[in-house]
Amino acid sequence: MDLAQGVQFVSFIILAAMMFSAALGVVLLRNIVYSAFLLGAVFISISGLYLLLNAEFVAASQILVYVGAVNVLILFAIMLVNKKEAFPALGRNWLRGGATALVCVGLFALLGTMAISTPWSIADRAGVAAEGSVIKIGKHFFSDFLLPFELASVLLLITMVGAIILARRDLIPEEPPESGLTETEAYKLQERPRELISVGKSESEDQS
Amino acid sequence: MEFASNFSDQLNVGLILPEGIVVATLLAVLIGDLILGRRAARGLPYIAIAGLLLSIVSLYFYWDAENPTALLGSFSGDDLSIIFRGVIALSTAVTILMSIRYVEQTGGALSEFIAIMLTATLGGMFLAGANELVMIFVALETLSISSYLMTGYMKRDSRSNEAALKYLLIGAASSAVFLYGSSLLYGLSGGKTILPEIAQGLAQVEGGELASAIALVFMIAGIAFKISAVPFHQWTPDVYEGSPTPVVAFLSVGSKAAGFALAIRLLVVAFPLEQPQWRLIFTALAILSMILGNAVALAQTSMKRLLAYSSIGQAGFVMIGMVAATQAGYASMIFYLLVYLFMNLGAFTGLILFSLRTGTDQITEYAGLYQKDPLLTLGLSICLLSLGGIPPLAGFFGKIYLFWAGWQAGLYGLVILGLVASVVSIYYYIRVVKMMVVKEPQEMSDTVRNYPAVRWNLPGMRPLQVGLVFSLVVTSLAGILSNPLFTLANTSIENTEALKSASTFLEETTAQNKEVSLADPMAPAIVEK
Amino acid sequence: MELQLEYYLILAAGLFCIGIYGLVTSRNVVRVLMSVELLLNAVNLNLIGFSSFIDPIDIKGQVFSVFVIIVAAAESAVGLAIILAIYRNRNTVDMERFNLLKW
Repeated sequence: MDLAQGVQFVSFIILAAMMFSAALGVVLLRNIVYSAFLLGAVFISISGLYLLLNAEFVAASQILVYVGAVNVLILFAIMLVNKKEAFPALGRNWLRGGATALVCVGLFALLGTMAISTPWSIADRAGVAAEGSVIKIGKHFFSDFLLPFELASVLLLITMVGAIILARRDLIPEEPPESGLTETEAYKLQERPRELISVGKSESEDQS
Repeated sequence: MEFASNFSDQLNVGLILPEGIVVATLLAVLIGDLILGRRAARGLPYIAIAGLLLSIVSLYFYWDAENPTALLGSFSGDDLSIIFRGVIALSTAVTILMSIRYVEQTGGALSEFIAIMLTATLGGMFLAGANELVMIFVALETLSISSYLMTGYMKRDSRSNEAALKYLLIGAASSAVFLYGSSLLYGLSGGKTILPEIAQGLAQVEGGELASAIALVFMIAGIAFKISAVPFHQWTPDVYEGSPTPVVAFLSVGSKAAGFALAIRLLVVAFPLEQPQWRLIFTALAILSMILGNAVALAQTSMKRLLAYSSIGQAGFVMIGMVAATQAGYASMIFYLLVYLFMNLGAFTGLILFSLRTGTDQITEYAGLYQKDPLLTLGLSICLLSLGGIPPLAGFFGKIYLFWAGWQAGLYGLVILGLVASVVSIYYYIRVVKMMVVKEPQEMSDTVRNYPAVRWNLPGMRPLQVGLVFSLVVTSLAGILSNPLFTLANTSIENTEALKSASTFLEETTAQNKEVSLADPMAPAIVEK
Repeated sequence: MELQLEYYLILAAGLFCIGIYGLVTSRNVVRVLMSVELLLNAVNLNLIGFSSFIDPIDIKGQVFSVFVIIVAAAESAVGLAIILAIYRNRNTVDMERFNLLKW
């Protein structure tokens, strides 16, 4: 075992252990904020694994998109819906958890057996790293993956439009606003009556 | 990956002109809304419909194209895809007709709604022709994500929110499962993503049965979610009840057609060797869907939920063609989807008209409707009877063709079950029709008694009338004049190279395997000499 | 000790199963969404593993995983918009209380 391989193996073990424990934390911890930060840890350790697999570009975009965008978005969502909520206990909750865990372990056994028993046609990796993966991926994007690439742009456009429509509050005043503009506390919303989130006065009283 | 001089030939971009028209329409609607503002944007839905019809016309010019492969193999514009793309575009056009009034009355922004619906259409059309794993995934997600957005469009209604949330969570999970299957396929075939190459790659692997079986099951789970086959149907009644009715119409026709297109192409082209396995899985799905869809529909009191469960049952009938796995089977699926498009959209148009005028969709409230609104009663009755399969309406011939194809393929049990299920389904469709037509004037429900005067000149009502009359005419005529549609479905299957080459590939490989197994006993003998 | 493809595949399978567990048992909607992200990451790990060991010349798997990342970002944006909308109307994020619609 030469040095490079040893270093690779040790870092694989460390990253895999990090990923597993963080992922278990995401689903098992009670506090949702801890889960969100541990999700970031999962993403970062996976991007380390990508580096071990010679995928620099994907590792970088994993950090940029998942940690930088998705995880931050999730943290924002947690802050926006930050009502302290004691979930009322359900009967037989442990039964459901246990049954699900059993099914998941079974599924893991199945997938693991499949991974080990299948004779994957491993290619020869000698002298591969001559051309960087970034150039190859760029060529793919503009040749045989051109169509999905273009379609993804339409998808992102309409996702942006749709997410704004769903998440914004309709600030259409019910009657034309008076010149005095008396309502300083909050806008009158056209939606059905409800408590304002995180900006109203009553909200902070609820929290404390 | 050489950028040779004939690169543009390989790209063959002309084949996706219909989708290009849809994209242009989508941008025109979005930008037009921005420039013209809310009030002046009344004409935008008609622009969208015009664009969709133009796209259908342009599909006609690529019928039987010489080289159906576009964009280096990631898209296939063969006749199979053309007919499905036509069905999807047409269903969106009719859905837009019925959504104009509905969205305005519920206070949403109409032009963004149209834009999202056009994106869903785009995703469905690309999905119908996608010939490569990445393309399939991106097109599938375009369709799904815009469906989630449309489902939650009535954001002040918490039932619509809830439907969108459930749809999103179940949909995202099922697409992740589908993806896991496709990643296995990529690895197993030795790094191929184009479907015919995957089939060749899979044929060369020895001892990968477990992995390919898992890939097959996972991918079928993703598809079954899209066509809402039992037991992957749990989202359907919820989403259908909670979301805006035009969206339900689109989901039950356009989205389902895209799912069937994906099922045919993926399973036939990429899994020719696993044909017995996927036929078995689809048999189970078809049986469960037919039994559960039709049995639960019997107990429904809301028209919307009735149509939701009946669409599960209808998907079960269509799957008979999939199980048959013959040319006639696929052709009968296409034929049935063509007539199902009109009869189901007609039924939804009637449902929307009634709920716009009265604000309810309970079946008992329909009592005695024919005295107040004969046109609506006629349209709804014809479409429901056709869904039930009463001769001489279009649905009858569709079902006959499906059952005939199944019988030819030797699926006697499945066909008999289908016959029983369709008899059951006639019962609950007739119940609605009877409620509307047979009741005496004094049995009329309060809602119908207070029925508003029929006025078609209100803004947005005219398109609904057009949609209703159009589907009514097609549903009643397509039964008698079913021959052109029938020929269309048959030629599209016959002209599709992909299906043929898949079946010849299957024959060759099995023949080779037989030779090998015959040759094997000889081999030691030679060594001994 | 050389790294094998199977190690990565088993790692991905484990992550996938954890994701499924979280998906089924979580009560908080945001956590369900996180579990979906775990599932997609497991798929990506699979794809990159295959691309590195089986397809090192053409690395199509890496391209595939970039698309998965794009779509996952879009999906989570839509998901969080829907969660905000439902939280405004219902003032809760408990899955068990989203029961206006019957199964």
